[in-house]
Amino acid sequence: MKIFLKLVIILLISFNLYSREIGETEITTEDGIEVFQEEKFYLLKKNVIIESDNFTLSADDVKINFDKNLYDITNLYAEGNVSFFSNDFAMNGNGETLNFKIKTEKLRVQGKQSELITKDVKMFSDGFIEVNNLNGDFSLKGSNSKLINESIIIEAYSIDGNFVDNNNIKEITFLEVYDEKISYVKNNDTEMYAKTINFNNNTSIIELIDNVTIIRNEEKITGDYGTLDTMNNSYKIKSKNKNKVKAIIQDNEQ
Amino acid sequence: MNFFLYINRKLIIFFVLFLIFAFAIFVFYKQINLNNIKVENLNNNFSDADISEPKFAINNESKKINITATEGNFLSQNKVLLKDNVRFKSNDFSIETEEVIFNRDKQTAHSKSKSLFKSKNVTIVSDGFNIHDRGNKIIFYGNSNLILK
Repeated sequence: MKIFLKLVIILLISFNLYSREIGETEITTEDGIEVFQEEKFYLLKKNVIIESDNFTLSADDVKINFDKNLYDITNLYAEGNVSFFSNDFAMNGNGETLNFKIKTEKLRVQGKQSELITKDVKMFSDGFIEVNNLNGDFSLKGSNSKLINESIIIEAYSIDGNFVDNNNIKEITFLEVYDEKISYVKNNDTEMYAKTINFNNNTSIIELIDNVTIIRNEEKITGDYGTLDTMNNSYKIKSKNKNKVKAIIQDNEQ
Repeated sequence: MNFFLYINRKLIIFFVLFLIFAFAIFVFYKQINLNNIKVENLNNNFSDADISEPKFAINNESKKINITATEGNFLSQNKVLLKDNVRFKSNDFSIETEEVIFNRDKQTAHSKSKSLFKSKNVTIVSDGFNIHDRGNKIIFYGNSNLILK
């Protein structure tokens, strides 16, 4: 009986000896860890899982740069089937690669069908999605880039902008959207097409440049340059060809 | 009526089985103890170690890694098999394992036994390791578990 009890105790201890406790980060790999002490990085190889209280990541391989000691992480680069969840940033995502700079809180997810989902915003791209958690800057580059939040849908090859936290809701303060073919923005009941679409929250104006089309309800207006005032929901369209009619349509509800 | 007819037959069977089980455990336990004594005696009397409590070191420009073990055997002029309580210790970290082949000339170490790496706020458990480049590069093999505090 004593032997049996000893075996049970030993098994229990061995199972719990190296498992993660609160506040700790546990990393498991299937094909080992390579530590380069002078170069100050280590490689985690094959089916890597990183788990802490507020962060979970899985990937095929991970490279971690450190400052003085192994725990003093400065940069994390994950490659292959990357999937992650961050409780601190209320964010999850996946992609072919992920790079996270700890000090600047700059996160970049890259590769086909990359996704970055937060509480208020969903971002998708076949190129890359980059977010700076400190200053709110974001950038999406590549085909099938798309940003969706409660009031706006943006589709273009290149989407740059900035978020600010307003009562725990992320609001867009500026936006620069460009697509050589055509960019698309849907804001409330208005759909906008143009090569370049810019938005500035200070002026509340959405600016549309080249191959402009605005669709609202049954109306469809085209031109070369247009603006939409998000405050009163009115828009103007101009054309380089002066024979074309300019259109200014005021929202009836105003 | 016979006294034994009053006793529940199931109870008797259970009791006999219990006795057999207890006896088997007793014999098994004694056998283990005997085996241990035999092995210990053999080890004490016929230890085939070339070196008892060997000590080596890996030196590089920035640090020194001291290597100790209970015993060691020369595999060649430069290769030494270190056995039992093998420990690598520097100012930054320590590694504990049971068997290591240490190359004195190349200043490398290779182990295929379960290893435990410890440094400040870091623990790594692996299925073996390889130290080369004078201690600058450490490769931990197989299923590895790293805990950052």
